[in-house]
Amino acid sequence: MSDSQAPPEGVPGPGAPGAAGADPPVPRTVDTANEALRDGVNRCPRCGSTEIQLRVSSGMLVCLFCRHEWSEARIDPVVSGEVPLHDLTGTTVASGATDISPEVSGVMTLKCGGCGSEVVVNTAEAMSSRCHWCRHVLTINEQVPNGAVPDAVLPFGITRDQAVQRIRDFAGSRKLFAHRRFRSDFAPENVVGVYLPYMVVDGNASADVHGHGEIETRRYTRKRGDDEETFYDADVYQVGRHVDFTVDDLTIESSAERANQDSFVNTNNVINTILPFDTKNAVRWNANYLVGFTSERRDQDVSQIQPVLEDQLLSIARAQVEGSVARYNRGVRWEAERLAVHGTRWVSMYLPVWLYSFYQEENGKAMVHYIAVNGRTGETMGSVPVSQGRLILAALTAGTVLEGLAIWLLVVMS
Amino acid sequence: MIPTLIGALGVLLETTLDDGTPWILLLGPAGAVGVYWGLFQYYRNTGKSHSFERETLIESKPITGDDRKVDEVRGTQRTAIAGNNVRDYRQRVQRL
Repeated sequence: MSDSQAPPEGVPGPGAPGAAGADPPVPRTVDTANEALRDGVNRCPRCGSTEIQLRVSSGMLVCLFCRHEWSEARIDPVVSGEVPLHDLTGTTVASGATDISPEVSGVMTLKCGGCGSEVVVNTAEAMSSRCHWCRHVLTINEQVPNGAVPDAVLPFGITRDQAVQRIRDFAGSRKLFAHRRFRSDFAPENVVGVYLPYMVVDGNASADVHGHGEIETRRYTRKRGDDEETFYDADVYQVGRHVDFTVDDLTIESSAERANQDSFVNTNNVINTILPFDTKNAVRWNANYLVGFTSERRDQDVSQIQPVLEDQLLSIARAQVEGSVARYNRGVRWEAERLAVHGTRWVSMYLPVWLYSFYQEENGKAMVHYIAVNGRTGETMGSVPVSQGRLILAALTAGTVLEGLAIWLLVVMS
Repeated sequence: MIPTLIGALGVLLETTLDDGTPWILLLGPAGAVGVYWGLFQYYRNTGKSHSFERETLIESKPITGDDRKVDEVRGTQRTAIAGNNVRDYRQRVQRL
């Protein structure tokens, strides 16, 4: 979000001065619901048809009946006001990012605006359905608290053909040591366009770090037998740094499954690697952007993501102060750190990813390998299962050649 | 990878010549492990993640702080301060 925001209510956020011991602060909510679409019948503004979908090449919605193209408004002005980010205080949560109620059913009943019949949509599987009586397309646009409808969506900008080519290129340069079954079954045409759920967070924070640093004052060598050993003298300093900073559109996974990035059991880290997205261009929610794509529902609340946010803010603070300790040419050992979060603003967003997946089961251990393409920038990252036999053979060959070289050198030198 | 191997070869050769121990014979096993790890990472990318520290829009005010000399180290063979973590941004330390 940009530097123009709504004036916050001044409710102290977690970690804010004075927050300790007080009741949990009540987040301020910004309503982002797209009221014009509440009845579930999204009509073309020109001809009234409900046959609408995303045209990826233009990033616009297109009416399949009259070819009219249009776009929803950008979400940024809706959640932003006029207060600069460094004046942001308290916790502001957009209405699509509010807590999920476990008792809310994912199955919704929509009343068709065309004929009045009732159509059931299971939001765990689809965000739209066709009225079986009058053929109108009905879409889920109401922000029910089950995590299915976010505040905003960033439409795909990379076409399926472009994604297939990028996946083909990525895997093509990794064929030699790829698992035999991956090489034979590789079919990038099976790529799926999926909208993954993220929290996009603005933050205003301060951090302090404390530790010790060393500056080399002298370097000298001493003889020990035939050897020369290098010794160092250094001055030791106690170092403290304070930084006030703001982050704009920090993007964090809001699905527990995607947030688990243990590379021993999954390959979710490759999806994380294709961040960031141009989230400034995200638009207000309209389920028609999802037609032809799949989506994954958010299942994490702000309070569950807060520790991840604080961890990332501390990492950012440490990166920010690095330049200020450059004089410590023997390095710095940070020993303690403090974070004060003055204000945060949370927006729930669906971001576009082209995903190719390959299921591998070996020695009773199953893993899904992903090759992911950022649906906006085209950045590609993936995990290709390896043929352990080939890899070990290559390593042993290289090791044998090097060992032969070492023995030859030893013979020559002796 | 090749410059790394050449560098390792130089170090092992120098150490071997210095103290007479045939350290250079470690080149084969070390090279095999290096080739395996390098290729594995090229295919699996297990160590990759989003560099949010660099790829997020961040604005910071001028950094303030204090530096106080507290000690001196004389005649150490360590090339850096013990526990140097100035670039390990994601390594968490004691939270105050």
